[in-house]
Amino acid sequence: MKKLVLLPIFIASLFVSCSSDDDQGIIVDPEEPVVAPADYTFTRNNESTVKFGGQTTRIFMAEEIISALKGIDTETQSSIQSMFDHLEGADDFSTPELNASSKSVRSKTAASTDYFSANASEASEIKTMFDNYITNQTSEVFPNSEVLAAPGVAGQIADGSSTRYVSANGLEYNQAFAKGLIGAFVTDQILNNYLSPSVLDGGDNVSNNDSDILDGDNQYTTMEHKWDEGYGYLFGGVPSITVDGQTVNQPNPLSTIGDDDSFLNKYVGKVAGSTSFPTIAQDIFDAFKLGRAAIVAKNYQIRDEQALILKQKISEVIAIRAIYYLQGGKTAVEANDFGGAFHDLSEGYGFLTSLRFTRDTQTGTSIFTKSDVDGYLNDIMSDGPNGLWNVTPQTLDAISEDIASRFDFTVAQVTE
Amino acid sequence: MKKNFIYVLSCFLLIVVACGEDDSSEQAPSDNFDRGALLVNWADNIIMPGYDNLAITLTTLEVATQGFIDAPTSVSLEEVRSSWLASYLAFQRVSMFELGRAETLNYRNRLNVYPTNTSEIEGYISSNSWNLELPSTIDSQGFPAIDYLLYGLGTDQELLDKYTIGANASSYKMYLLDLVTTMQTLTNEVSSDWANGFRQTYVANTSSSASGAVDQTVNVFLYYYEKALRAGKVGIPAGVFSGTPLPQNVESLHNEFVSKQLLLEALSATVSFFNGEGFSSDFPGNGFGLNTYLDTLNSVKDGSDLSVLINNQFVVAFDKIDLLDDSFVSQISNDNLKMLGAYDELQRNVILMKVDMLQALSIDVDYIDADGD
Repeated sequence: MKKLVLLPIFIASLFVSCSSDDDQGIIVDPEEPVVAPADYTFTRNNESTVKFGGQTTRIFMAEEIISALKGIDTETQSSIQSMFDHLEGADDFSTPELNASSKSVRSKTAASTDYFSANASEASEIKTMFDNYITNQTSEVFPNSEVLAAPGVAGQIADGSSTRYVSANGLEYNQAFAKGLIGAFVTDQILNNYLSPSVLDGGDNVSNNDSDILDGDNQYTTMEHKWDEGYGYLFGGVPSITVDGQTVNQPNPLSTIGDDDSFLNKYVGKVAGSTSFPTIAQDIFDAFKLGRAAIVAKNYQIRDEQALILKQKISEVIAIRAIYYLQGGKTAVEANDFGGAFHDLSEGYGFLTSLRFTRDTQTGTSIFTKSDVDGYLNDIMSDGPNGLWNVTPQTLDAISEDIASRFDFTVAQVTE
Repeated sequence: MKKNFIYVLSCFLLIVVACGEDDSSEQAPSDNFDRGALLVNWADNIIMPGYDNLAITLTTLEVATQGFIDAPTSVSLEEVRSSWLASYLAFQRVSMFELGRAETLNYRNRLNVYPTNTSEIEGYISSNSWNLELPSTIDSQGFPAIDYLLYGLGTDQELLDKYTIGANASSYKMYLLDLVTTMQTLTNEVSSDWANGFRQTYVANTSSSASGAVDQTVNVFLYYYEKALRAGKVGIPAGVFSGTPLPQNVESLHNEFVSKQLLLEALSATVSFFNGEGFSSDFPGNGFGLNTYLDTLNSVKDGSDLSVLINNQFVVAFDKIDLLDDSFVSQISNDNLKMLGAYDELQRNVILMKVDMLQALSIDVDYIDADGD
């Protein structure tokens, strides 16, 4: 009944938005129009105001860490843990720039303001999960690298012409780590930190932005910069370009989406390349652009609308890939291809842990509770005594369906 | 999307036709082609005789290897070399059939991953320790590893010295023999799987679904043609996927003068399979192949029979390959354009078979390009 009452209002609102929405596709606000630029270029006093070097640094560090997790003959538990914990000046990485940096990946893992500022216990638990991947990789998998994997025995297993290195229960810790970081590190920072009003509007950010008071010697306001740091977690791996002798960020990073890191950029690209979600990369980029333009225009309503689009779409990317790998694993399980199954399921395992960092646009909390995610991880490992060696198609379908039920798409749409 | 649409449309048409002709039938066959006869010809006249033939050549290779190990001379070396080549050619006739036990064994990868990893091989030999069961050793075994051990150790005299007076002579001999006997074991496993039950299951699996034997065989055939033959033997060394030519990636790098011969044999096996031509022309179903299937369905493209178009395209590809040097290393180094020309002609049949043929046969591709991670 309530819905019926609201219906005329809803219809009326459609007419309003139609009449104020002119044929340019420009969204018009009663106070001030906000026009998204053609690409992600924002300037003040003829200088770019877009900076996200810290995100680029952390993405590059994370790339080296996931590569080190495969360094059977070259790495140790402490060498990889030091990379994850990096301290300024420590000789952890391949370049002097990364070594000199005061930043680390671990300090931004499960570290968003909204989800973890008052939830130190879960934050610590999640950081420890990643620490354990490193420990287990070096203590269980590395020593068994010349052993044939079997139920209950860590070792190597063929996946087509590739060789995978798995734990006694079939998990590739390096995949769980890499795909887990997409949620706990990248997505958590974007959705639950930089796109959050509590961060964007923190301190005097609103009044400073309203009065064009810049952040120290920089050309940007703090609010602009926070937004760009969120953007940088998706596009920070895109190579810079040189314009008029100046090094600037690639203003149109969509042409290489999927190729610019091993984390969220890669998987936004993968999802955009699938049949059912062809516009998702464009949708995400457009929302970042329009939201940033709204900050310049001091229109925080449009800013927050775009932030909600980003929270929804990026959450979808995580869920879609989780389902995709569970279904890929299911097909391989059915074909008795354990090597192929373990690889898919290990990626899926990482994406399942990443679901925790998605965001419900209505409630502002995760679409998946801690117990949801813990339940999935337990289910996938508990069909028999040896984890993924025993997982059944039924279990993989049940988890897939449960994930999809929280979105507007189906499992079939993910796999087609 | 388009394919799905066509699929849905054809299902719809089928339902309409089925309703009109026979109301009682629940599931109408999509065509009247005798898939069972096709499968029998494939199994009994092409696949199983192919493995038998390979097994015979491998026995000869094993005997020759044993002789070489007992007395490494230039004469016994030539014996083992020529029997290696005979086996390698026989292998080209079965490499495409990654079905049943071959699939679970990763058979093609166990026998023919190249370039072979010479430093890993030397490491195993100098430590006198190896385990060819480990997936990470697939690039240190099979025909390419034997190629290295028979041709890649310097001049003939230097090579013989490794097996006679060298510090690791006994280890070289054992490794070579282990490579040969491993190929024998794997081949016998596949062969006896076919003989002991798999053949029966296979020829009876006439369903026209993705799990049917015709669909699966056509898929492994196309995967082989696209990945192992077109890309592996020609495209990758010619630099199609890397931008720069990679002559070190040719098949049979150390005896590079047979790389063309191996490709010709593989392509000839491909054409034979397409046309259902098996080991015995007296076999009742000989000549019953994908060509026949397409003709039965009256598959036509641009006014010509699809089977004829595909066969004509094979002829064009053969003509281009005939122009190449016996050694693909020198062909790629001296005139890579000719190599790329051969690749282009092989690629045209990927389109005709993977798109047009599969559409005509209502078979879905069940493989995708790997994720890359």
